[in-house]
Amino acid sequence: MIGVLAAASLLRHRARTALAVAGVAVSAAMVLDMVMLSTGMRESFRSLLERGGFQVRVGPRGAMPFDGEATVGGGAGLLDTLRAIRGITMVAPVLGATLHAPQPGGAVAAFALGVIAGSQGDYVLQEGHEAVADGEVVLNDPMLAAVRRRVGDTLTLATGYDPQLRTFSGGRTLRIAGRVRFRYLAADQRGAALPLATLQAMGGDARRDRLSLVMLRVDPAADVEAIRAGIDAALPRVSALSTATALQQAEQRLSYFRQLAFILGSISLVVGFLLVTTIVTVSVHERVGEIAVMRAIGVSRRHVVQQVVLEGLVLSLAGSAGGLALGLVTARWLDSILATFPGLPESVDFFLFQSIPALAALGMLVLTGLAAGAIPAWRAATLPVAATLRREAVA
Amino acid sequence: MPRSPIRSLSFRARSVALPALSHALLAVLPARAQVAPPAAPPPARHATIALDARLATDAGIRLGDLVVVAAAPGIPGDTLRVAAFVRRGADPSEVARAEYRVRMHLADLQRVLGYGDRVDRFAIATRDSAATTRAIAGINAAAFGFRAHRSRDIAIETSRTFAVISRFHKAIGVITIGASAIFLLCIMLMKVEERRRDVAALRLVGLSAASVVRAVVIEAALVSVIGSGAGVVLGAVASRLVNAWYQQLYRTPLTFSLVTPGIVGFAVALSVVLGLAAGVLAARRLVRTPPLALLGR
Repeated sequence: MIGVLAAASLLRHRARTALAVAGVAVSAAMVLDMVMLSTGMRESFRSLLERGGFQVRVGPRGAMPFDGEATVGGGAGLLDTLRAIRGITMVAPVLGATLHAPQPGGAVAAFALGVIAGSQGDYVLQEGHEAVADGEVVLNDPMLAAVRRRVGDTLTLATGYDPQLRTFSGGRTLRIAGRVRFRYLAADQRGAALPLATLQAMGGDARRDRLSLVMLRVDPAADVEAIRAGIDAALPRVSALSTATALQQAEQRLSYFRQLAFILGSISLVVGFLLVTTIVTVSVHERVGEIAVMRAIGVSRRHVVQQVVLEGLVLSLAGSAGGLALGLVTARWLDSILATFPGLPESVDFFLFQSIPALAALGMLVLTGLAAGAIPAWRAATLPVAATLRREAVA
Repeated sequence: MPRSPIRSLSFRARSVALPALSHALLAVLPARAQVAPPAAPPPARHATIALDARLATDAGIRLGDLVVVAAAPGIPGDTLRVAAFVRRGADPSEVARAEYRVRMHLADLQRVLGYGDRVDRFAIATRDSAATTRAIAGINAAAFGFRAHRSRDIAIETSRTFAVISRFHKAIGVITIGASAIFLLCIMLMKVEERRRDVAALRLVGLSAASVVRAVVIEAALVSVIGSGAGVVLGAVASRLVNAWYQQLYRTPLTFSLVTPGIVGFAVALSVVLGLAAGVLAARRLVRTPPLALLGR
């Protein structure tokens, strides 16, 4: 009975109800998007960092991995020290550099990684085999396209360019052993990977025995944070970052988006609340005579409250359902905009749908709708019956 | 008790890495917390350094203090006297970066880094745009191993990140405008429907449908203008709060939210247009209904 009366009240003004549902849907979509934005970045980065199976990253002290061109000297000694730490099951050294491929139309530059095949976590092999032997290199699709080569071809790469003499230094002809996809590079960024020793040798004295980063795989039974803190305390030249601390630093840099998400999500909730309150209040105001008659013939206050609250709830539920669909569409649109950030790894999503936070956000909007209906419901239940009937009869 | 010129700083025994004028990293150690001695005994007059004001605050460094600057932690460096503190500029690219920056005399930095007589870039001031064009052409034609770029082109290249953020903000703005339009239409519809009986009475005494539409539209315009005024005040207050919050959070003078006459004009115009459109729609719906039906008969 309550449901029928609430439905009749909403259907009496179809255009208004449709607009109210649309308004709540836009608010719900915004709330959902902002929840996806605030939780998505963290989860996306966590997934990216954990994808290679390494829990600790060791780099030059004071710098984020590959945030500049800083490297650590004495690489071999550092690797021995790290391998000796209990609980570390794999040590994967990485040296970063810019390589130049002299081409007829000008040199093509690429970001290059010197790694040890078999223990690296930076790329996924897509064709051919890893660059295991000295003189081999693997390239990603943008680099292969830029130098117009295929797997099996040879390519001359150089580590340096002397602008004074306009000559390349550290040049070497390498065989393309495979085609790979780099986990941490942007979709259009050119990349190459070659054996660590080869890249160090090509770099000459400047890169001899130097490393940009060492990734560590830790025994599942070991305490990752204890190992990280131990390295940080014992080795003054390097900083150790666990996935948790790396996430903290990444979050610090992206805190703007998290805070923007909080502010816009809160505003959307307030807008949804105001919309439902306004609609239900006006609806009650229009029906004061009807409500007074119901009260006069013995309908209880509780019944009146339930009917009015139900109206607000129906508006919120319908709006939230529409908002879920709308939110997913707008999230994809907004994500496509942020995905164009220069240098952003291809696999990072700013908006990530996770059912529990998304449902919690929409549930919060529904609760807001319930609260919004409560105010006019109380007003309807406490109407002075006789005075209202007299006023309405005169009108 | 007189303060020692070389301050003992116990807050952090470890060094702080600093991206300097070049892309190299420097380590600044409070003089007594250093882990390695300076390469040579400090001269009577120390060279000077300007420190990031945030570093000075965090490390408790004061003007006149001596600091040891090295190219990497644990290696000998130079002892310099802190001559100035600098606030970082309003550069969006630095906002979310926690690293400190220092300013050194070029020769001092070249010596500390072992950079020789090298520089990363020159900045050249010109009289006007035509002179800039001539200078760029001249340098690129004659110089060996250099490439000159117009500052504007570099700014465009380095501001790609902010172009993305700007597009993101615009997209959020489009969604917000959609929500506002629906809200406004809803409110206008309800306001007009509240007046059903009044409109019916006016129509029955001979007022034309056009007059009713005009009255409703004028009312909608007034509501929009008043609402816009309140919105401008609310927006200005919110903008100040946003700036105050983010500026203290990131310790930057950067303006995050800017309310300009153009933005106010756009917001008011949009709101009035939306209000008028909502008023026209609602009024047309009302005048199409027969007056007696509006009275419920």
